[in-house]
Amino acid sequence: MQLRDYILRRLMVLPFLIIGVSIVVFTLTRVGGSPIGIYLSHEMTPDEVLEIEQRFGLDKPVWVQYLQWAKGVLSGDFGWSGISAAPVADVFPLKLAATMELAAASGLVALFLGIFLGTFAGARRNRAPDHITRIVAVSGASLPQFWFGILLLIVFWANLGIAPIGRSDATVFASINHPTGLYTLDAILAGSPRAFWDAIWHLMLPAITLGYGATAIIARMMRSALVEELQQDYVDAARAKGLAEKLVLKKHARRNALVPTITVIGLTFGFLLQGTITVEIIYRWPGLGRWMAASVVRGDQGTLMTYVLFTSVLFLIVNLIVDVVYANLDRRVTLGK
Amino acid sequence: MMLDTSDQKNFVAKVDDLKVYFNSKRGTVHAVDGISFDVYKGETLGLVGETGCGKSVTGRSFLQLLPIPPGVLAGGSITYNQQTNSSQRIETGSKPGFPNSRNFEFKKVDLLTLTGEEIRKIRGDSIAMIFQDPGKSLNPTLTIGAQLSEVFLQHRTEEILEMAGLGSEAPGAIRRFASQRNRIFDKWLVNLSGNRLTKSRVEKAVADLVAKALSDTQVPNPVKLMDRYPHELSGGMKQRVMIAQALACNPDILIADEPTTALDVTVEARILDLIQDLQQRRQTSVVYISHDLSLVRRICDRVAVMYAGRIVEIGTNNEIFKNPRHPYTIGLMKALPSADTARGELLAIPGNVPELINPPQMCRFSSRCAFATDKCKNQDPQLEKVTNSHSVACFADVAEISGK
Ligand SMILES: Nc1ncnc2c1ncn2[C@@H]1O[C@H](COP(=O)(O)OP(=O)(O)O)[C@@H](O)[C@H]1O
Ligand code: SF4
Ligand SMILES: [Mg+2]
Repeated sequence: MQLRDYILRRLMVLPFLIIGVSIVVFTLTRVGGSPIGIYLSHEMTPDEVLEIEQRFGLDKPVWVQYLQWAKGVLSGDFGWSGISAAPVADVFPLKLAATMELAAASGLVALFLGIFLGTFAGARRNRAPDHITRIVAVSGASLPQFWFGILLLIVFWANLGIAPIGRSDATVFASINHPTGLYTLDAILAGSPRAFWDAIWHLMLPAITLGYGATAIIARMMRSALVEELQQDYVDAARAKGLAEKLVLKKHARRNALVPTITVIGLTFGFLLQGTITVEIIYRWPGLGRWMAASVVRGDQGTLMTYVLFTSVLFLIVNLIVDVVYANLDRRVTLGK
Repeated sequence: MMLDTSDQKNFVAKVDDLKVYFNSKRGTVHAVDGISFDVYKGETLGLVGETGCGKSVTGRSFLQLLPIPPGVLAGGSITYNQQTNSSQRIETGSKPGFPNSRNFEFKKVDLLTLTGEEIRKIRGDSIAMIFQDPGKSLNPTLTIGAQLSEVFLQHRTEEILEMAGLGSEAPGAIRRFASQRNRIFDKWLVNLSGNRLTKSRVEKAVADLVAKALSDTQVPNPVKLMDRYPHELSGGMKQRVMIAQALACNPDILIADEPTTALDVTVEARILDLIQDLQQRRQTSVVYISHDLSLVRRICDRVAVMYAGRIVEIGTNNEIFKNPRHPYTIGLMKALPSADTARGELLAIPGNVPELINPPQMCRFSSRCAFATDKCKNQDPQLEKVTNSHSVACFADVAEISGK
C-alpha cells in the first residue's frame, strides 16, 4: 500500500472515531454527576430545581440530550461555563493558548533534547556521557512532577526570588496586543524584546517542570533503541562501504532507532497533557488544566465535557500523526495487514 | 621470509601471524591465533572450518571491522599490495616501513595499522565485504537506490561530478552533496535556484551509476528496483544488491562471509555463478568464507582449512581434496555426502571444538583426533610445507597411516 493511501484511509476513519469518543464522553459525564450541580443550592425548592432541569432538557430521553449537545457542539455552542461565568466557547481559546504555549515549549525541547541526549549516550555506551545521561533520565522519569515543581518553586521563587509566577507581568501584558494568545509569539509580532523576555521568563520554570520527565522518557528510549540498532548487521555493512562513523550513526542507526522512539513520543504527549494540570496549578498558569481542575471541584459539567472532548480528539490526531511519521520512517508498516 | 619480485606482484594481500583475541570474564579467547596466508591476484581462496573457528574474525580484520573492545589485535599484520594506478584517488605516500616502490607501481600498507580515515578510503572501494545474512545487511528504512548510491558518493565523487558535466569548479555545496559530506545548511543551499539544476544532474549521474551496478548483477528492471525497500525483495535479490554494492567500485579483494548460507540451494547456485562471473571479468580476488566443504570445492582455487583459531592445512583445490593431509580435513571430508557413501553413512567428527580460552601448548585437534600421540598432547604443531603450495600442521604422516 502506498503511504498516501494509508494516510487517506486513516483520515476517513477519524470522524467515526470522534463520534464514538463524543458518545463516551457524554455518557461518562452523565454518569459522573448532575449536569446542573453547579447551579443548585440547598435553599432551592423542588419546583425551582425542576425548572432548571427543564431548561437544560434533562426531562427528555438521554439520546435526545446527546443529540442536542452534539448539535450545539457542531454549531460552536459548547454550553455555559459556570466557573468562568461565560460561554465555554469564549473562554476556551484563551485557556487553550496558554496551555499550548506551555506544552509546546516543553514538548519541543523534550523532543529535540531527548533525541539528542539519547543519541549522544547510545553512541558512547558505558562511557561517562552515557552514565550522566542515565542519571538525568532515571531522575526525570521517577521524580513526581508535583514534588519537582514545588521544589523549583521554593528554591527559585520563594527563596532566591529570581523566578516569577503566573503567566506574565501585568504592565508588560498591557503594553502589547495579544492577537494569538501565545505571549512569546505576540511579543515577536509586536517587536517587543521586553515582552518576549517576560514571556520566556515566566515560561521557564513551568516548562522545565513539565518537560523534564518527557525528556527523560524520550532520551531513555532513544538510547536503548540506538544501542540495539548499532549491533545490527546493516551498521557493519554501512561501515564496510567506507562511510564515516558520523554518517553511519546519523543516516543509518539513528533513523532506525527513531522508529520505536516515535511510539514513545506519542505516549509522552499524553504524559505532557496530564502534566499541565499539576504544573498549571503549581505555577498559577491560567491554562486548560487549571480550568479543568477547578471545574471538577465545582461540578461544572459544561467546562468539563468540553475539556474531555477536546483532549480526546487531540489524542486521536496525535496518534494519527505518530502513525504517519512511523509509517514514513519504516515502510514495512504500510504494507502490513 | 624474503620475497622475490614475481611474488611481490602476485599477492594482493598477505596475512602474517594474525592474532585476534577477545577479553571475556573467563579469560582471553584466542579467536584467531597466529594465522598466515597469501591472497593471490584474481584467485578465489576458500576459508573453511566449523562454526566458531575464527573465519569471520579473520575476514573482518581486513577492513578493521572487529568489535574492539572486547576484541584485541594481539599481533601480526595484513599487508595489502595496492596497485596505485587502479586507485589513484587514494593519496600516495605510504606508511613508515612500507617503501613506496615506483618500479612496481605497487604500494604496500598494513591494513591493521591504518588510521580510521585511511581504512575508510579502502572500505568498499578497493576491499569490499559481503555478509552472511542479506536480510540483515540492508538498512530497512532506506531504499535500495539510496543505499547503493552511498558507495559512489563515498568513493567516486570526481567521476560523478564529471558525469554531471561539472569539474573542479563545482560549487562547494554541490561537491559536498556529491560526497555525502553535507553541512548543516546544505539541504537548502543545494536547492537554491542556482544549484537546483546541477543538483539534479548529480542525482542523475549517481542514479546512472547505481543502475549500471545493479544491471551487472542481472537483476530484472534495475531502475525500478532502486525505489524499492529491502523488505519488498526476496533473499536472493537482496544478496544480489549486496553483491552489486560490494563490486560497485571494482575492488581488488572481495571478502565473502558465507554469502549463501541464509539462502536456499537453487538461489545459492545462481549467486555463486554470479560472483564467479563478475570476479573473472574484473580480476577480483575473493576470500570465500564457508563451513560448506563441497561448496568450497566447487568454486575455490585454493583452500585454507581453519580449526580453533589456526590454519591447519592450506593448499590448492586439488591438493586439499585429492590429497588431504590433516586428520581434521579428512574428517570434514568424510562428513561430506559423495557418490560412494550410502545414505545415512555420513561420519561427523566426534567431539566439539575446544574452548579457545588460554589454549595450552598442544595440538588443538588432539582431543578429537584418531591419530593423536603423546607428542600431540605436549607440542603445538606448526604449518610445514608438503609441496610448494601445500602446507599442513600435523605431526603424523596421515598419508602413510591411512594408506590413502
Ligand atoms: N564480538 C565478539 N565478542 C566476543 N567474542 C567473539 C566475538 N566475535 C567472535 N568472538 C569469538 O571468536 C570466535 C570466532 O568467531 P567467528 O570468527 O565469528 O567464527 P566463525 O568461524 O564461525 O566465523 C568465537 O568462537 C568467539 O568466541
Ligand atoms: S598433530 Fe597429532 S593430534 Fe594433531 S592432528 Fe596431527 S595427529 Fe592429530
Ligand atoms: Mg562466521
